[in-house]
Amino acid sequence: MNTTLICIVCPVSCPCDVEWTQEDGVIKVENNQCKLAFEYVEGELFDPRRMLTTSVPVDGGNWPLVSVKTHVPIPKDQMLEAMKAIEGIRAEAPIKVGDVIVPDLLGTGSDLVATRNVTTV
Amino acid sequence: MSAHEVADVAVIGGGPAGLAAAAEAKAAGASRVLLLERDDRVGGILNQQVHDGFGTKVFGEALTGPEYAAIYEDRVNDRDVETWLKTHVIDVTKDRLITVHSDKGLRTIEAGSVVLSMGCRERTRGAIGTAGTRPSGVFTAGAVQNYMNVRNLAVGRKVVILGSGDIGLIMARRLKLEGAEVVCVAEILPQPSGIAGNMVRCLEDFDIPLFLSTTVVEIHGKSRVTGVTLAEVGPKMGEKKGTRRFVECDTLLLSVGLIPENELTNKIGIITNPLTTGAIVDDSFRTSVPGIFSCGNVLQVHDVVDYATLESEKAGIAAAIWATTGKLPDADIKVTAGEGLRYVLPATISGTDSVDFTMRSWKEDHNRAIIFKSGGEEVRRLRMPHMEPAGMIRVRLGKGRFRRIVNNELTVEVGD
Repeated sequence: MNTTLICIVCPVSCPCDVEWTQEDGVIKVENNQCKLAFEYVEGELFDPRRMLTTSVPVDGGNWPLVSVKTHVPIPKDQMLEAMKAIEGIRAEAPIKVGDVIVPDLLGTGSDLVATRNVTTV
Repeated sequence: MSAHEVADVAVIGGGPAGLAAAAEAKAAGASRVLLLERDDRVGGILNQQVHDGFGTKVFGEALTGPEYAAIYEDRVNDRDVETWLKTHVIDVTKDRLITVHSDKGLRTIEAGSVVLSMGCRERTRGAIGTAGTRPSGVFTAGAVQNYMNVRNLAVGRKVVILGSGDIGLIMARRLKLEGAEVVCVAEILPQPSGIAGNMVRCLEDFDIPLFLSTTVVEIHGKSRVTGVTLAEVGPKMGEKKGTRRFVECDTLLLSVGLIPENELTNKIGIITNPLTTGAIVDDSFRTSVPGIFSCGNVLQVHDVVDYATLESEKAGIAAAIWATTGKLPDADIKVTAGEGLRYVLPATISGTDSVDFTMRSWKEDHNRAIIFKSGGEEVRRLRMPHMEPAGMIRVRLGKGRFRRIVNNELTVEVGD
């Protein structure tokens, strides 16, 4: 099968021409600028996942919020469920980029980690 | 602290462009580098862009905005760039005398070189002249991004977004994730303004409808927005009769474009390009005024922060060289945007080192090529499977090709 998939890893949005079959997976990817497209295309066809990025309130910090992300992408259809699971979570300053805020979010194997440094006030 | 300071390089604006320029100016040998930022922190819009996708070109991975900003903030700090926060630059002269205002009062800075990296602000409701009442609940997309992602404030429950610029699309997803209903995105143009990737991950993923050739013709509500009237527009942007429909909402987000903040650029008397509104620069990012450089979104609106960073690093290095030696190679080769291109940057090149040209096309096109020509002969050709006005095109012209340039002229165009 031939499909065109827009790579969403970065804003360049390469329109990747993909040759693939259910049995053999991805055979060929063309029109991509970088290698990050291969993994994206494979995932999008067989197990679509997304990075979830949001923020969590912080107590005692110089920012009221700490921005967070799933350290690896989670299944696309679990995004809203994951947001529900995060509701009510609070973090405490100080926080460093990479600190785990919620381990193994929804059993996806992905940790919710901080993407901003927050110092105490 | 004295009211008069002297610096090798002064960088105006501490967003991604200013951070990169300041860090590289210091590394290139400028002894005192000042980074002037009006906000209470550096990082600019990256601080509120909590989504990922930054850094694929520079770091080979997709980082979030705050992570990307933190890398460059660490870099300026490690290199002892002096950062002045909550500092407004109110004047810059041709002789590079900068006047700033802050809680320390008025101060002046005598700078060897000045880098203009003020970035953009958003177009507002006033700029697009929407009819109707003036209720609360009308926001620019970036303002909402700041409220939600930095200040922890919610803006509304039922939202219509006008304009399909990237920040609008990203906020459509963000609002949806936070539990708001996003009724639709309306775009006056027949094609989306934002990049293709955001159509997928922000709209399609969440089944948010996009109405093209559609705009808001009236805003309703007394104290708060109660709804908007949408209408379709024809090819000449005129409203199509009989297409008006009322859509209930409590919030209208505007994502209708960015305005490069070139007030200082213009005040100095720097020559600008009417198509970018930014300075006309050479391959060292020098403006028409000696010792003043420009880079980042104030020079040209970028879609990819990595490219703003790379451009600004070059500007920072050039600013340091000029401040310390007073010499940069003359840029005598004139570059012209030909058929199919809105603009190409830089406008002149020196021919001493490889150049990364940036440009935008007038319209969407497929299977064309970007062609560099000089004296009627081809200098370089790059196949373009796909191009659209929303996507900046970046093409490197290697040093080795410069020998094909004749009569100090180079044209860049779209061809077959």
